Amino acid sequence: MPSKDGFFQKLRARFRARAQDYGMAALEVFLSAAIGFLAGALALLVLGYDPLKVYEVLFSWGYTDIGYLLLKSTPLIMTAIAFSIPALAGVFNIGGESQLYVGALLGLLVAYYIHNAPLAIVAAILGGAGLGLFIALLRVYRGINEVITAIMVNWIMYWLLAYLVTGPFNNPKLPQQSVPVPKSAQIPVFSIGGVNIAGSFILAVIGALVIYYIVFYTKTGYIMRVSGLSPASAKYAGFSPEKAILTSMLIGGAAAGFGGALLVLGDVHSIDTTLSAVYGLGFTGIGIGLLGRNNPIGIIFAAIFFSGLLIGGQYVELFLNAPPNLSDFLIGVIVIALSIPYAYRFIISWIKRRRMAK
Amino acid sequence: MITGADIINLLSSTLISMVPILLASVGEIITEKSGVVNIGLEGIFIISSFAATVVAYYTGDPLLALLVGTIVGSLSGLLHGVISAYLNGDQIIAGVGFNSFAYGLALMIMVALWQSYGSSPTVKTLPMILVPVAGTTLYIPPLAIAAFIVAVLAHYWLNKTRSGLKVRACGEDPRSAESMGINVRRTRLYATILGATLTGLGGAYLTVWWIGQFTKFISAGRGFIALANVAFSNWNPLLAILGALIFGFFSALSIFLPLKLQQIYHVQYTAQIYLFNTIPYIATLVIVAFIMKRVRMPRALGKPYIKE
Repeated sequence: MPSKDGFFQKLRARFRARAQDYGMAALEVFLSAAIGFLAGALALLVLGYDPLKVYEVLFSWGYTDIGYLLLKSTPLIMTAIAFSIPALAGVFNIGGESQLYVGALLGLLVAYYIHNAPLAIVAAILGGAGLGLFIALLRVYRGINEVITAIMVNWIMYWLLAYLVTGPFNNPKLPQQSVPVPKSAQIPVFSIGGVNIAGSFILAVIGALVIYYIVFYTKTGYIMRVSGLSPASAKYAGFSPEKAILTSMLIGGAAAGFGGALLVLGDVHSIDTTLSAVYGLGFTGIGIGLLGRNNPIGIIFAAIFFSGLLIGGQYVELFLNAPPNLSDFLIGVIVIALSIPYAYRFIISWIKRRRMAK
Repeated sequence: MITGADIINLLSSTLISMVPILLASVGEIITEKSGVVNIGLEGIFIISSFAATVVAYYTGDPLLALLVGTIVGSLSGLLHGVISAYLNGDQIIAGVGFNSFAYGLALMIMVALWQSYGSSPTVKTLPMILVPVAGTTLYIPPLAIAAFIVAVLAHYWLNKTRSGLKVRACGEDPRSAESMGINVRRTRLYATILGATLTGLGGAYLTVWWIGQFTKFISAGRGFIALANVAFSNWNPLLAILGALIFGFFSALSIFLPLKLQQIYHVQYTAQIYLFNTIPYIATLVIVAFIMKRVRMPRALGKPYIKE
């Protein structure tokens, strides 16, 4: 039966092609991380720290407390998705930072006044989605680069949030923080087989899986991905790339807002007036999204990896007095290294050619 | 209520805060005209202002510090130029990565040198031109005059000279440029370095000519305001002067307004101060969103030039 044979051959060829894609992706991720850690070691050496000791502390302390590791990775999973889903549709959402702020604030306020966690989460998702949509609307209807809008919105929301938690929603008993999330609206931590698994982490994984399904198994997701790869082909197929941008930013913003609610309800339970509980989570999410190859499942693992780096970074500071900003540096170099996949492909084909010449 | 002295003070602050935005905008216009977008202006501001602070602290020579900060800007441009023009990297991702890298590096060194997590020790700054008017003093940063001249020269160079035309050709139609004998990759690299050099000068100015200290929020989105100004100016260095003055004014207003209001109404603002900090960002957003006309960016902007 030649037709069946052809089918299997096609399937096998397709799998082989995909396996090569996955292999290439894994190689790029691995190479980028290696470049990041090498550059980090060099910088530490120049600054007079022992890089081996720093990395030993980083890795041995960053990943020992599994429950804490998963809890800390929770908002990062969501801010990474906030970056990656729009990225698939060809938009660069670096507004995950402020979308998370809005989610954290609305989640906090609804929990404080209404004592209801599900409602708090819904409010946070709507708030984040609205902010994401705002950026997308300016891009689609006014032609304004989404990066510029997002950064301006990030700073506006940063100062607005600082005002709200220091002013109207300040905790009179504890002036260095906002009003708290009441016990009844907190997301509990479950003890499963001796490990404390945060309920918020479980919700984040469910959220990531839902978004994975939307992106890879629905028509909406398909249109988004086609528009991202080639807006011209999308138009030719009768899809609207503009609508894809709006949808992707709506989903991305919703994810970051959700992350903000999970952070406040499941972990910190209030926002400190220096905003250290929320600041930077959106920016870190960008690196995680890139490292996770814009795939929600890859992102879960990348978020756990990065949050280990961040936790380990605090112990590095505690034990060795080394700068905690090593993690920003590492993430920066890894992201720069991830921007040049063409260079890696070029190196590989060059090595192959040399081998063939011999 | 508003006195002549107030207006002079506002004008001083506008001129002072306009300088880094104008330098970075003109630099980025040159870079983008060649077809490369550098979103790492924020990172260049951070790393060059930090380098300048370190040099000023250890040598006591702010002029040398200004030079070193500028060179650090050039080196940042070299990195981005190689990634963009030769390695066909994703320019946006590289720029975002650079911002995080620059922030991390500057803060790491700050902690290592001074065991401080928020700000550096203060350093000596370069002098401003002082003009006594209306019972107060108008401060004119000499670099503001230089920045105006740079903008005019950049406009003339890009539009009226052969080499300027070559740069624009690389950003409009790199394939035709190449067939005319222009080395597209090298031109883009040079344009990126030139743009980053001007941004580096602006960054160094931030610490050794203006604030006199490095803080972790030193650039505070100015790099992105400069990017917004590039779009606002429609890639025209002369219009970028106007844009920089507008953005400088709103940033001056965010400091002036709360002081004046407290003085008039005899109140003491606490948390409300934070609200005034949003003024320059809201103004940028509103200006870009509503006043901006339909702009036309260089056609090959942000696209790697891949030879067949």
